[in-house]
Amino acid sequence: MKKLKLSAAMAALAWATISTSQVAQAGEINIIMEEVPDYDIVAKLTDQFTEQNPGITVNFDAMPFDAMRDKILTSSLAPSATYDVIIIDNPWTDEFARAGFLEPLDTLISGQDGYAYEDFVPALADISKVDGSIYGVPYYNYALGLIVRQDIFDSKGLAIPKTIEDYMSVVKSLTTNDMYGAAMQPQKGYKIMEEWKNWLYANGGELFDDSGNVIINNQAAVDALNQYIETHSQAAPPNSANWGFDEALRSVSSGKAATMLSYNWMLPALNAKGGMSGDLAGNFTLHPVPGGKSVLGLWSWGITSNSNNKDDAWTFISWISSPEVAKQRAIMGGAPVRNSVMNSAEVWEKGYGKAYYSALADILDGSAPLSSGNNAEELIEIVGTELSAAVTGQKSVKDALDAAANGVERAIK
Amino acid sequence: MLMNAAQMHIKYKLILPLVFLLFGIMLYPLFFSLWLSLQDYRLTRINDVQFVGLENFGLIATDPSFLNAMGNTISFVVGAVILELILGLSLALLIQKLVIFRGAIRSILLAPMFITPIAVGLMFRFLLNSEIGIIPFYLLKVGISLDWFGPGLALFSIVLIDVWQWTPFMLLMFLAGLEALPKTPFEAARVDGAGRWLTFSSITLPLLRPVIVVALIIRALDAFKVFEYVFAITRGGPGNSTETIMYYIYQTGFRFFRMGEAAAASILLIIFILIFVILIVNLSRPKVIK
Repeated sequence: MKKLKLSAAMAALAWATISTSQVAQAGEINIIMEEVPDYDIVAKLTDQFTEQNPGITVNFDAMPFDAMRDKILTSSLAPSATYDVIIIDNPWTDEFARAGFLEPLDTLISGQDGYAYEDFVPALADISKVDGSIYGVPYYNYALGLIVRQDIFDSKGLAIPKTIEDYMSVVKSLTTNDMYGAAMQPQKGYKIMEEWKNWLYANGGELFDDSGNVIINNQAAVDALNQYIETHSQAAPPNSANWGFDEALRSVSSGKAATMLSYNWMLPALNAKGGMSGDLAGNFTLHPVPGGKSVLGLWSWGITSNSNNKDDAWTFISWISSPEVAKQRAIMGGAPVRNSVMNSAEVWEKGYGKAYYSALADILDGSAPLSSGNNAEELIEIVGTELSAAVTGQKSVKDALDAAANGVERAIK
Repeated sequence: MLMNAAQMHIKYKLILPLVFLLFGIMLYPLFFSLWLSLQDYRLTRINDVQFVGLENFGLIATDPSFLNAMGNTISFVVGAVILELILGLSLALLIQKLVIFRGAIRSILLAPMFITPIAVGLMFRFLLNSEIGIIPFYLLKVGISLDWFGPGLALFSIVLIDVWQWTPFMLLMFLAGLEALPKTPFEAARVDGAGRWLTFSSITLPLLRPVIVVALIIRALDAFKVFEYVFAITRGGPGNSTETIMYYIYQTGFRFFRMGEAAAASILLIIFILIFVILIVNLSRPKVIK
């Protein structure tokens, strides 16, 4: 009897494992999601979708970021997709589109009444266009902004820095024995690349020039990296050379650092009463990054080309990203991607106030993606590794950027 | 006793399932990796696989990141295994002398070995975190400020974490080895008036040599596979100071989708490990006095 129970339990476990990765049946769509606050909002809103579309069952498979890329790949290489709808991080867009993993959405978008595709912030919508076709529609943005402790700035009579030189000077002046001017994120790979590229933009630099030549080791990049290292050594907390998002956020929210370059939607979380900042809640404000050009991140909704339920998938995507539902999502705390949402008096009132949405609109205007092209993920890792080596003194600035340029050229061959 | 033809026939039939099993789980993946290493095989261009001969090996062998990862891995293996050997043997000698609580102490000391390495990685990531870690907090109270995952210490920190988790394995092996040693040589040494050090170096160590060699090979092979601590804590950073060969292969194959190059790196690693094992076995053979 005991053996029988054990066998039954094992069979149930095996079935549960298989059933979570099975292909969706007709009238059913499987969606892969990242476990972030925006997913919780989407999951709540989906109850309305299910009421309005009783013939479509939506199954979410939420997971940490690290697990997503592999799962999407295996689903896309299979004859029939496990996931009918995927969310696409912006560095993956070109790679997945060119690999044939994604369904072009142009016809579906143009045939959708009242969808108002042109209402999406152009900088965000453009990320999902590859060779003239649209492969995704914006889900949420993660553009970087400058988050500051406004009470400290006010008490010291400091203006919000507009240039990178001003920022360096301000954060140095704010650094004392128990307070640091800037909580930075020099962790190898994605984090340092995401932060430093704002400094690169402020110096007029880029990864490639208009002809596609690698210019990551030109003078603008050298200046940007020297400024970044100087600021880290003079205004960031000690022993923070391996810090990522969590550590920097904790430093700011606990009152140990006065500024950080971070995701714009961290502002509401930092200012939430009874939240992570304790008594400091309400003292944080959001501004465009010094230099004015922000690194832009985006998650977008896409349909897999090997899905058997493309119509149902589009029914869901066109609903969740429609102007009306986008407004509800923003009011519930989601990061907006439509101009009409950021300019809505209702969203200002019920959401996080006009100041936040105005600052966000400024940030998105003129921002540019972290990296694009076929090997974006690899390029970010290569450059981010060399930047980290320079910040920690393992390589000189010039050697690190030359190595980054060589690595990028090798990767794009 | 000689087998007749029918018995011989049955003998081969009986080992067939094992042959099929070995082929399925070992030889087929190995040969597939070998085939992969000769192709330009990218998971995002699966319909455009091209034979490139030894080009992937050339790319890998000249990639500074691969050479750096090999260097880091060798430093990690040597550092971790030597520390584990010394600590494991010392603890085994101490525990062997215990009269009471021997079983309880042995069980407690073995506990780290049963925790999954990714959990150990996450645990130490927080314990040694400069912002919230309890270890830096108390070290700072006595005036010591260390960046455990900074460029100078990160690899050493990973070594220490491995030592914490896997010294118990060495302890287990050596304790079993010590308990199985014959008593007579030790009694003879005591009668002859040999001191503790002389007894240890001239009797214990030589008799324990086969156990030490096996333990060293098992631990070294396992240490070559270090991945979880790096993945959970440093992602190979700062710079590439903790990037190990397994992390390099994972990144090349499963993040950048360059399966051909990842397979070539794996083949080079297999060759390196084979040479390493042959060297260890040869070096550890007792010298024959002629």
